[in-house]
Amino acid sequence: MQQLVSVTLSSLLAAGLYATMAYGLAVIYGVMRIINLAHAGFMMLGAYVTFTLFSRFSIDPFIGLVIVGPLFFFFGVVLYRAVGKSMARSGATPSIESLLLLFGVWLVLQNLAYVIWTGDTQSILTWYTMKSIEIFGVHVGVPSVFVFLASAASLIFLNVLLKRTYLGKAIRAVTQNRDAALLSGVDADRISATAFGLGTAFAGIAGGMLSTLMAFTPDFGRSFLLKSFCIIVLGGMESVTGVALGALVLAVLENVLGAYTPVPTSLQDAVSFALLFVALVAFPQGLPALFTRFERKAIR
Amino acid sequence: MHASRSWRVTLQAAFLFVFVGISAHAQDSEIRIGAVLPVTGKESKIGGAYKAATELAVKEVNDAGGLLVHGKKMKVDLRLLDDTSDAAKSAQLVEQLIVQQKVHAVIGGYGSQLVQAQSVVPERYGIPFISGGAGASSIYGRSKWVFGTLSPVENLAGTQMDFLLDLVKQRKLKAPLKISLLRENTEHGKDFQKGVRDFVNAHPKQFSIVLDESFELYAPDFRPLLMRVEAAKGDLFMCDAHLEDYIAMHRTYTQMGLYHQMVTYGARGADEAGRKALGAATDYIFASGWWSDLLPYPQVKAFNAKWKAATGNNPQWYHACAYETVRALFAAIQKAGSLQPDAIRNALARLELKDSILPGGVLKFSKTGEATLPFVVTQNKPEGKLDLVWPKAAKTGEPVAPIPR
Repeated sequence: MQQLVSVTLSSLLAAGLYATMAYGLAVIYGVMRIINLAHAGFMMLGAYVTFTLFSRFSIDPFIGLVIVGPLFFFFGVVLYRAVGKSMARSGATPSIESLLLLFGVWLVLQNLAYVIWTGDTQSILTWYTMKSIEIFGVHVGVPSVFVFLASAASLIFLNVLLKRTYLGKAIRAVTQNRDAALLSGVDADRISATAFGLGTAFAGIAGGMLSTLMAFTPDFGRSFLLKSFCIIVLGGMESVTGVALGALVLAVLENVLGAYTPVPTSLQDAVSFALLFVALVAFPQGLPALFTRFERKAIR
Repeated sequence: MHASRSWRVTLQAAFLFVFVGISAHAQDSEIRIGAVLPVTGKESKIGGAYKAATELAVKEVNDAGGLLVHGKKMKVDLRLLDDTSDAAKSAQLVEQLIVQQKVHAVIGGYGSQLVQAQSVVPERYGIPFISGGAGASSIYGRSKWVFGTLSPVENLAGTQMDFLLDLVKQRKLKAPLKISLLRENTEHGKDFQKGVRDFVNAHPKQFSIVLDESFELYAPDFRPLLMRVEAAKGDLFMCDAHLEDYIAMHRTYTQMGLYHQMVTYGARGADEAGRKALGAATDYIFASGWWSDLLPYPQVKAFNAKWKAATGNNPQWYHACAYETVRALFAAIQKAGSLQPDAIRNALARLELKDSILPGGVLKFSKTGEATLPFVVTQNKPEGKLDLVWPKAAKTGEPVAPIPR
């Protein structure tokens, strides 16, 4: 019983972490059909900006996210205005140019970080970093709980933004059909810039949150990129709720395999790969589409 | 007619020989030493430290007039290139140094992965190669030209086990002891695992392994792995990890409220960055290292003072290893009294650097080219204190075992 509670809690906390990593990627892919290879670079930069706010101005990392979010949104919009025109438009398949361009942006960010912060390993140690709370007899780290709560808040924020506001409706319109949205008077280019800014902001926020859990160097984020791809494929590429669901499936699978099977935990990445493969072959539209299909069959 | 032609050929050959000899001699007015280090990129922190220590060792020799070769003092021309922590580029730069810049010997980089890539090049051209930054055993023994001053990681694990066995003999720890063994999925990790396993197999009454798992570098979540550690109920926690993984894993370890009688993360533990990231949670962690500034040798004290005067900081193990690598190469060149690759290589193979600053005080290489020096063991104490606890003869404080709850 204790192990079941432990696995459940671990899965939920890991899902929060994974979803946080993937929201930004999903928003940008959904609107612009761009696989943002610079996502890891934005996360890394988010970690460093949070670290700088903490070490220079004693701003708590989670409070610092209030600064990191808008700052990265602005950075994303400026970046889109500077290079976004060269990227593929919605409706088209991701172009090799956009992949190369964003890969280049990642390398530039990485090298910039080496120049500014050097290659030294950095970390953030707050009063609560090493603290844990007991939930049903299981100790869970306070920063992990904060990350989970922030991830849940992000999910609510994105859902409200996309479903209840004009901007959200415009983003969804561009996501579904860019040409039709243009004909309806939506400024698709402005919406793309906003979506890119939003995706960049969430990547920065994810980096800021990850900096409370682990140490980082300018190479940070690389290993999370693949997991994020896997999650957005599972989640159906365009839906933020789907992303949360994909993150939960991956986290549950990893934790159940770790706790109840002799499968080595070093194969965690292989689990992500296998899941990515299965998702692409069996349900390329993601889990939400799969559930909808089952629902329709059940009604019939 | 035939005879005069052969005379003419002989004369031309002699002229060519003398000319080439003179020009080669003219070229060899200085000793060209190549070095390829990760000065930028992900290994830049220690790569930069290797650069500083290498340059200091070269400067010292040049300030003293150079090395004695062919009966005269020759200055050292250091040609140091940055591989940006890229393995492919690293090998390419070593080749460039040998082919284009005609260096007499090459100093290898830092990091087993980078040195592994570099180490295949010297064999092609027959040039001596010495590295002070790679402990993976697989690098050595494949080429007679490759030498390394870092003792194998297997020995690191073996030293830690010797230390633990001594704690058992002192009755500080009570045998039999169950070990939870974790390692990163790298050559370094595999060597660590082998070292522990070999020792446990040789001491079955004192030790057993109850969990043996590996993990990928920079894993985002160590909780599933540590849940296995918790379930294994081991007495000792032994892990081999990079700094980033050590920090992330030990945070989760502490948050989960895990406890073991002794905890180690291999070579990690005494790092300033680790103590800054984990605070008091690092207290009593023990770690092995290739060097410590606490070693009580006079030559170590002299090196500490020299380093502090030159840089304003206390030396770390990587500064000492890089410095000693250069010293070993220079000692071999002087002993060879020649810049011929074979002569330098043979001198390196027979080298016995008796005033070495490395543990044991004498640096020499095994048949595979690897130095087989003892390791030191340090233990973190509260309030940022650090004690050298092994070897016994050099200890600066008593080991605390088991770790207080």
